[in-house]
Amino acid sequence: MKKILIIDTKAGNLFSLKASIERLGFLQTVLETPSEEFFDGIIIPGQGRFGTVMKNIRKYGWDKYLSQAREKNIPILGICVGMQIFFESSQEDLGIKGLGWFIGSSQALDFPKKPMVGWAKLHSDIWSNEAVYFVNSYAIKETSLSIATTNYGEEFCAAVRQGSFTGVQFHPEKSSQVGSRIIEQALTNFGAMS
Amino acid sequence: MNVQQSDLMPRIIVCLDVDNGRVVKGTNFKQLRDMGDPVELALAYEQQGADELVFLDISASNEKRPTALKLVTDIAKHLSIPFTVGGGLKKLDDVKAFLDAGADKVALNTTAVLQPDIINQTARAYGSQCVVVAIDVNQSENELSFYINGGRKLVDRNCSDWTKEVAERGAGEILLTAMHKDGTGSGFDIELTKAISQQVPVQVIASGGAKNEQHFLEAFQQGADACLAAGMFHTGDYTVSQVKKYLLENGLNIRI
Repeated sequence: MKKILIIDTKAGNLFSLKASIERLGFLQTVLETPSEEFFDGIIIPGQGRFGTVMKNIRKYGWDKYLSQAREKNIPILGICVGMQIFFESSQEDLGIKGLGWFIGSSQALDFPKKPMVGWAKLHSDIWSNEAVYFVNSYAIKETSLSIATTNYGEEFCAAVRQGSFTGVQFHPEKSSQVGSRIIEQALTNFGAMS
Repeated sequence: MNVQQSDLMPRIIVCLDVDNGRVVKGTNFKQLRDMGDPVELALAYEQQGADELVFLDISASNEKRPTALKLVTDIAKHLSIPFTVGGGLKKLDDVKAFLDAGADKVALNTTAVLQPDIINQTARAYGSQCVVVAIDVNQSENELSFYINGGRKLVDRNCSDWTKEVAERGAGEILLTAMHKDGTGSGFDIELTKAISQQVPVQVIASGGAKNEQHFLEAFQQGADACLAAGMFHTGDYTVSQVKKYLLENGLNIRI
């Protein structure tokens, strides 16, 4: 049975996320600090502000842990702000550096009604026309790693993929069966690794 | 920016009024009827294609609080669409308890009017996306008024001003219930929803008066972001999937 680590960034309840992992038949463990234990996949949850999440990621040494996991090709799934922190910075908390794995920054969405709340269809080769649930005011607008986009006033990146890393701007744990399938794909490197 | 450029789809939100661990339905804020088990109904609605659920009055009294929290956790464990809880949240600790138990959002109504700072506090602690402010309005002739305490107490304030204030304080969405429409089956108050929606930089959920699929079509065609209904689904007159199929056939961009 796959063992999945959920990093507790101390920025909100992890209830839905835990339940969504269990529904897939995976074992989930929530940790505040890194451990030596092996995990088949790692999730960075999508709650809280960019600055708060980054502060806790650095404080507890998750930055190094994640770099090592990346080298070992362990599937990593970043959700919403948990994806944004892998880029360089965010307009939400200027002056705080992200992990900088990828070039780009998250910026405020330009739309009269904020936050963006609700279901939107993905423009994507792999998830063509799938509807997923978004809750966000900020997003990555430009990246060469994009595998899905959507529009809210302007086009933005809905998902990225590089190596064993998958990032999604939407909330797959709240996106019914479509979301469940996306979590499973991300945590199994899209079937490339078993 | 292009206002037309949005992939966001209009949402159908099913409301479950909970009393004593059971789903109930009232008419014009009075008479209650038993409708079933909250977790079972929630799951059935997810399967039908409901985009979100709202559980109201789940937490109405303090003595029932532990049971209500457990119910919220049960719902979160089984459901994989967003849900809101509301009713009887009197202080920030209550809000925290329900969000920590697994609710995605809280709906604040009476408490928001009596202690408006709770909107700011909740938004600061959890983000605007967790805060839905529910406003129960009543339109008689040309006068628009709003009420608290489950529609029983008139608030001596201008409704438009209040709507703008809650958005400024950090509400992420406004749930606008037209009391004069509730239980009538005459359709949503589209004009009112539109008027309020144009005044605030957040989404407004239309509520009250839905009886058939045509009512949803009219509201969405007129630009409503989301529509909430209860009775027409609980009675089995319609399934959410039936309504969505109808909307699709009429050219709306809807999630199925």
